Amino acid sequence: MVELQPIHEVPESFIKRWIFSGDHKVIAKQFLWAGLLFLAFGGTLAMMIRWQWAYPGEKVPVLGDLFLSAQGGVVTPSTYATLFTTHGLIMVFWAITPLLIGAFGNLVIPLMIGARDMAFPWLNMASFWVFFLSQLMVIASFLVELGGAAAGWTTYPPLSTNVGTPGYGQSIMVAALFVTGIATIMGALNYITTIIRFRAPGMTYMRMPLTIWAMFLTSILNALFVPVLGSAGLLLLFDRTFGTSFFIAGAAGVQGQGDPIVFQHLFWIFGHPEVYILILPAWGIVGDLVSFFTRKPHYWYKGSVFAMIAVTVVSAVVYGHHMYVTGMNPLLSHTFMLLTLIISIPAEVLFLNWLHTMWKGSMQLTTPMLFALGTIFVFGLGGLTGIVLGTISTDIYLHDTMWVVGHFHFTMASASFLAIFAGTYFWFPKMYGRMMDEKLGRLHFAFSLIFITLLFGGQLAAGYGGHQRRLFDPYQYTFLEHLLPLNRAVSHAAFALAFGQIFFVINFFKSLVSGKEAGDNPWNVGTLEWTISSPPPMHNFDVIPTVRRGPHEFANPDVKEALGRDFLYQDEEMPENVEEPQGALAQLA
Amino acid sequence: MSLAADIGPMGKVIKYAPNERRDWNAFLGMVIFLGSWIMLFGGIFLTYGALRARAEIWPPLDMPPLPLDFPAMNTLVIVLSSASLQIGLNGVKAGKTHLLQWGLPVTTVLGTLFIVLQSVVWFDLWQEGLQFTSGPYASVFYAITTFHAAHVLIGLGALLWLSIQSWRGMYTPARYLSIRLWAMYWHFVGIIWGFIFLTVYVL
Repeated sequence: MVELQPIHEVPESFIKRWIFSGDHKVIAKQFLWAGLLFLAFGGTLAMMIRWQWAYPGEKVPVLGDLFLSAQGGVVTPSTYATLFTTHGLIMVFWAITPLLIGAFGNLVIPLMIGARDMAFPWLNMASFWVFFLSQLMVIASFLVELGGAAAGWTTYPPLSTNVGTPGYGQSIMVAALFVTGIATIMGALNYITTIIRFRAPGMTYMRMPLTIWAMFLTSILNALFVPVLGSAGLLLLFDRTFGTSFFIAGAAGVQGQGDPIVFQHLFWIFGHPEVYILILPAWGIVGDLVSFFTRKPHYWYKGSVFAMIAVTVVSAVVYGHHMYVTGMNPLLSHTFMLLTLIISIPAEVLFLNWLHTMWKGSMQLTTPMLFALGTIFVFGLGGLTGIVLGTISTDIYLHDTMWVVGHFHFTMASASFLAIFAGTYFWFPKMYGRMMDEKLGRLHFAFSLIFITLLFGGQLAAGYGGHQRRLFDPYQYTFLEHLLPLNRAVSHAAFALAFGQIFFVINFFKSLVSGKEAGDNPWNVGTLEWTISSPPPMHNFDVIPTVRRGPHEFANPDVKEALGRDFLYQDEEMPENVEEPQGALAQLA
Repeated sequence: MSLAADIGPMGKVIKYAPNERRDWNAFLGMVIFLGSWIMLFGGIFLTYGALRARAEIWPPLDMPPLPLDFPAMNTLVIVLSSASLQIGLNGVKAGKTHLLQWGLPVTTVLGTLFIVLQSVVWFDLWQEGLQFTSGPYASVFYAITTFHAAHVLIGLGALLWLSIQSWRGMYTPARYLSIRLWAMYWHFVGIIWGFIFLTVYVL
C-alpha cells in the first residue's frame, strides 16, 4: 500500500509548535482551554441571574463588588437583560460549541480514524484564531457605551434593532456571532473532508466509532445551517448600522415595513439544527462510553448510526415548533408538530440502544462513565419535557415560561455539559498523558448531577406555575409571589452546582501537574487513539493502521482465552485459533 | 529532529501527500464551502422573498424602478468573464499555458468592468433617491447587490494575484490547483449574479 499521508517535521520554534500550530491535538487543547474559560464566564453570569431571582434587588455578594461596583453591586434591569442575553449566547456559541466540537472533534477525529492530521491543518489553525477573535469581541461587547447585548440569546427584532438596543454592545455581539460562525464553518468543512478522505484503510463508515459519526453529522449540520444564522446576522447588522429595514416594522419602519418574523424564521432554520449540533457529539460520546465501560459491544450499532442520521435529516425540517405563537397557518404548525414528534422515534432508538448496551454488562463506574450515565439521565428528562412543547395545544400555555428554559437546559445545556466532562475525563489521559483523579471526579459528578437536576427541575416547576422567562423581578406580579421560596431554593441548588465545579478545576490542574501516568491505554479500549502513546507524537501514527473491525469489540471469550484481555484493538489481527465472528451480536452468543 | 530515527524502518514516509490526492481534498473542501455559501445567500434570498410576498406593491410607487440595461450588460460581462476563465483553465490543463496567461487578465478586466457598471447603477439610483434608509425595497436591493459585489471584489483580488503568478510561470498542467478552486468560486459568484439579475432586476 502506498503511504498517502505525509509526516511533517515537528516545528522547532515554540510559537509554531504550541501557539500558531497546525497540529490538531494542540488546537484541540486551545479550544478546550478557551471553551472552559468561557464556560466559567457564562456560568458566572448565570449565578448573577439566579441571585436576582432569589434575592431581587439585593447586593450580589462577591461578584457585585467585582463587576457591578458602579451600580452599588446591584443587578439593575438593564444589567439583567445583558446578563441573560450574554449568558445564553456565550454558553451556546463560546462554551459548548468549542468544547464538544472544537476540542473533542479536533482531538478525536484524526486519532480515531487513523489519520496523521486534519485535511487542512492551516485552516484548522485559522479556525481557532478566528474563534478567539470572536471571543475577544464578546468581551468587548460588555465594555462599550450604552451597555452590552440585551435582546435575549435569540436576538429577536425589534428588541435587537436600534430601537430596542441602541448600544454598540448588541452590534458587536451580532458581529461576533458572524465571526464565530465563520470559524465554525471552517472547522466543519475540515472535519467533513477529513472523515471522508483520511480514514485509515479498512476504516469503513460502519466501523467508525459513534463519536466520529456524531462529529460527521454535526459538521454537516454546521456547514449547512450556520450560514443561515450568518445571513440573519448580516441583515440585522445592516439594519443596525446602515439604516436598512429588513426587520424593522411598526412606527420605527419608515417608507414601508420590514418583517421581524422573517428573522425568527431565519434564526430557527439555523436554531433548531443548532440544538442537534450541540447534542449529537454528546450522543456520540455517550454511545461509545456506555459500550466501553460496560465491556460490551454497542447494542445495534447500525441502528444508532441510522438513528443519528435520521435525527440529522429531520432536524432540518422541524424549526417551526419554535414559532407556534407567531400566528402561523395551522396547517403549517400541525405539520411541524408531526415532524417534531416524529424526531422522538430515532431519539428513542438511541436511548434504548444505550440501555440495552448496559443491560447485563459488567459496568465500570469510572468518572467518564458516571458522566455518560448522567448525560443519559438528564437528556431523558429533557426529552420528555420537550414532548409537551412540541405539541401545539400545550405549547401555547407553556410558551415563554420557565418550563421552556428548564426543558432546553436539560437537553442542550445539561446533557452537553455532562458529556463535555465525560469526554474530558475520558480523553484527558490521551491529551496530557496523565489520569485525572477519580475521587475528585466522583465528587464533581455527584455535585453536578444532583444540583443540575434540582436546578432545572425547579425551573420546570416554576414554569408550570406560570413564571415567564426573562422576568427581572417576577414577584412584582402577585400571581408569582408564591414562587419566591421555590426560586430561592433552586438558586441555592445553582450555587451548589457552581461550587461543585471547583472540584473539577482543582482536579484539572492537579492532574496536569501530578496526575498518575496514564500509559497508552488506561481504559482498556480498542479504538485507534489508544493504540498509540499518550500524548501521541505530532504525526500520531508511525504506520497508518489497517482497521479490521468495529470500535466496540468486547467480551469475546475466545479472545479472552487467547490474549488474556476482553477487548480487541480495531487494527489488531485476530489471534490464532479464534474465528472472526460475523457482526457484533455473534460475539455475545 | 531526524524522522527516520524516531519512526524506524518504514521506508514509506513521505513529506508531502501526492498532488492528485491533495487536489481532491481541496476540491471536496471547496464544494462544502460553496454549499455553505449557497445557504448563506439562500437565507438572504429567503428574506427578500418573504418581504416581497407581504408587500402590497413592489416596487413601491414613490421609488425609482431598477434599470435593466446596465444589469443586462453586466450579466453578459459576467458570463464572458466566466468563459474566459474557463478557457484559461482548460488551457493550462492541456498545456497551453498562454491561454491561462491571457485568460486570467481578461477575466480580471471583465470583473472590474462589472464593478464599474454596477457602481454606475448604484450611483444613479442613489441620486434618484433610492438610499439605504428608503425602506425594504431599497434594503433588499442594496444588501444583495453590495454583498455580492464584495464577493466579486474578493475574486478580483485573487484573479489579480493569479495573473501575476501565471506570468511568473507558476502553473503547469501538473499543478494548477488554485486556478481550479478560484474558477469554482468565480463561477459560483457568477451564478449568484444570475439569480440576482432574475429575481431583483427582471421580476
